Amino acid sequence: MRVALFVPCYIDQFYPQVAVASLELLEKLGCEVVVPTDQTCCGQPMANSGFASSTEGCDANFSQNFEGFDYIVGPSGSCVLHVKEHHPSKKIRNSVYEICEFLMDVLKVSSLNAHFPHRVGLHQSCHGQRGLHLSSMSERNEKHFSKIEDLLALVGGIEVVLPVRVDECCGFGGTFCVTEEAVSVKMGQDRIKEHHANAVSYIVGVDTSCLMHMEGILRRQGSKVQVKHIVEILNHA
Amino acid sequence: MSAREQILGKIEPLAESKHPGAFQGASEEFDFRASLAVVGARVMTMAELETEFPGRRRYDKTLDGLSLAEIEVLEIDGEFGVAENGAIWLLEEALPHRVAPFICQHLVINVKKIVPHMHAAYEELGKVNSGFGLFLSGPSKTADIEQSLVIGAHGARSLTVVIHA
Amino acid sequence: MLSHAEASENFIADADRTDWHDETLWFVREKRDKVSKVLPEWEALREHASQIKDHTLANLGEYLQAFEAKAQANGITVHWAADAAEHNAIVHDIIAAQGSKILVKSKSMLTEECHLNDYLASKGIEVVDTDLGERIVQFRNEAPSHIVLPAIHLKKEDVGETFHQFLGTPKGNKDPQFLTEAARQHLRGHFLASEVAITGVNFAVAETGEFVVCTNEGNADMGAHLAKVHIACMGIEKIIPKRADLASFLRLLARSATGQLITTYTSHFHKPREGQEIHIMLIDNGRTRQLADPKYKNSLKCIRCAACFNTCPVYRRSGGHSYHQPVAGPIGSILAPNIDKKANVDLPFASTLCGSCSNVCPVKINIHEQLWFWRQDLMEAGLAPVGKTIGMKLMAFTLANPVIYRIGGSLLRRFAGLLNTRLNPWYKQREMPVAPQESFQEWYKKR
Repeated sequence: MRVALFVPCYIDQFYPQVAVASLELLEKLGCEVVVPTDQTCCGQPMANSGFASSTEGCDANFSQNFEGFDYIVGPSGSCVLHVKEHHPSKKIRNSVYEICEFLMDVLKVSSLNAHFPHRVGLHQSCHGQRGLHLSSMSERNEKHFSKIEDLLALVGGIEVVLPVRVDECCGFGGTFCVTEEAVSVKMGQDRIKEHHANAVSYIVGVDTSCLMHMEGILRRQGSKVQVKHIVEILNHA
Repeated sequence: MSAREQILGKIEPLAESKHPGAFQGASEEFDFRASLAVVGARVMTMAELETEFPGRRRYDKTLDGLSLAEIEVLEIDGEFGVAENGAIWLLEEALPHRVAPFICQHLVINVKKIVPHMHAAYEELGKVNSGFGLFLSGPSKTADIEQSLVIGAHGARSLTVVIHA
Repeated sequence: MLSHAEASENFIADADRTDWHDETLWFVREKRDKVSKVLPEWEALREHASQIKDHTLANLGEYLQAFEAKAQANGITVHWAADAAEHNAIVHDIIAAQGSKILVKSKSMLTEECHLNDYLASKGIEVVDTDLGERIVQFRNEAPSHIVLPAIHLKKEDVGETFHQFLGTPKGNKDPQFLTEAARQHLRGHFLASEVAITGVNFAVAETGEFVVCTNEGNADMGAHLAKVHIACMGIEKIIPKRADLASFLRLLARSATGQLITTYTSHFHKPREGQEIHIMLIDNGRTRQLADPKYKNSLKCIRCAACFNTCPVYRRSGGHSYHQPVAGPIGSILAPNIDKKANVDLPFASTLCGSCSNVCPVKINIHEQLWFWRQDLMEAGLAPVGKTIGMKLMAFTLANPVIYRIGGSLLRRFAGLLNTRLNPWYKQREMPVAPQESFQEWYKKR
């Protein structure tokens, strides 16, 4: 299967290991992975700040890089959601997948050669969950399901622990993290407090942006807890 | 132009969207007594009522609004109860005054009929043309101070229900 | 006036109180979860209620006129007001005709929106708010911080002190039971003496001309049934077509609001009692403008349950006053810009767009999507600070050009250390991410 890997800009620049793991994982699962090298940003930072009118350049660049692919796969719920909801091309909107969604719904992965013998706290990123419906939502009266938990269950040795507030937002929120700094940090601290109480070694999520925010707080607190994008664990032999 | 004409003039008809009709698929498994317990009402038999409130006043048309404030315990008849939420439908005709169930200190209501849920309740009500009616569920309450539940805000401090069904 | 971000920073400075506020409202959210999850038909009910509202909004003009005709036939006087000023003037005229100088009022967010209390005070008329929470904040000269729990920003110590000052309760007594009893005695006097009572309206039924008022305390009824004149104030969006529709809305309202099965009192006012006058105020105040915009029309479905407040992680940690509007929280943030874009430009940004609000909404308003639309409209209206506009345009330009993006990215990584300064809001309480030597694309090229 031919797949174009969508590497969001901040992952490209600050978390290359997440893109590397995505690439390796998809290849391991038999995909022919193409990495369009002129890709930049999906335009979400501007759009969520009220400047969707300024994202034409990003949209055009995204189209140039990803036109013609039936599967555009990215390791970021919020960037994928942005493309799915706002990109002008219907073909692209219909072809973009968050990586867990792609693994479960398209590749239908049922086993993985992965091992991660640690106690891991799961952070539900809102855009992956409420936007892309990667898992059931605590607000709704619906049957429990989670593509994320199903994938993690394929990893050897892992122990996944859920916080009590199972899907509360971490407070990253794009530019919200600086324009509403006080609330943003408080929300992040409160999420982390629950994971600390659960004595986890790692916090895992499907959105590096949430993880970056929580990592920033963890490091400032001098915590030993680390953050991992789910693909880093799924690709961990 | 009057405000009425102004407002109505500004309302553009939107694309038609159908009224969904009556709600289908409501659960029927509700327990009136359990709901009464949840909303803080007590259930008593007539005999228990006699012991608890021997001096209570039954609805009496000669009472007016203000003297009602002097009544400790008022006993009235409800039209029917709703199992899903412990609400009892009260009609103006069965009240000495509209304020009666609010202004007395303790309220006793007789219930002879129970419907499962609110959809059935409105079916039961039909197109009654009474001037005033209410669903009453439990005693007056508030949690406006630190979310601590306090019974007896402005209305009756207790509700006792006698089920004759 | 402080922006939402500034006011929130002040609120959060008291960490213990913030935690208390967050946990208390989360508890209300949990109660809502519990009662909604034992009803298998919950999601179907939400959909049903949403469809009734869609239908009503599509035919609002007809339903308003039908309601008016029925209400008039029932002996109720119907008034229309295009805006807050007109509303307040009409209400004042009714009170003046009665000659009252003091009146009782139960909770009405509409009168908060119209700032009726201040207006009447300027005319020498005292309004006594009778909802316990509203009375508390009225004594303190504050606005309600939550539309269902008006005094949720206060601790019992605060209420004890306020009641000591205004009602003469013993200093230091902070027992909710005792304080509630003190308010009961104090307000009972006002109920018995008032000739005019103002209430809000939860639902108005076009089919019958009746209106429904929901309370737990019984204060709306105590006021309305004892007064000679009852004035009920409602926005035009409170209309519903049929009496039977009330079933769905009443099942959803209290469960969503407080996790109760139904409010204690759900009163159906159909005709004035003998010798009484009932007046209904139908107010637009920007609602027809909202209705005409397909992006925002759904906000008019709101039944004011405040479930979106209780679930909102931002609201819980910033308090209602940080929204500087009578209706705070996520729903307030999509209603307020319709009234005044400039004054409320911060509110649609007081959200992470997490989407929890839309999920709890009993009438399925797409709140978080409307927040996003408002962000666009406000920025397009030129209401962004100059720095933000320049920054965004620069960012858009950089990110649209792969070459410039690569140069920019590599510079950013090389000089990331320079961002470790207190001038960088990120760095104030968080470390910056560690910049790697190579970007992914640089690594990939060598692969």
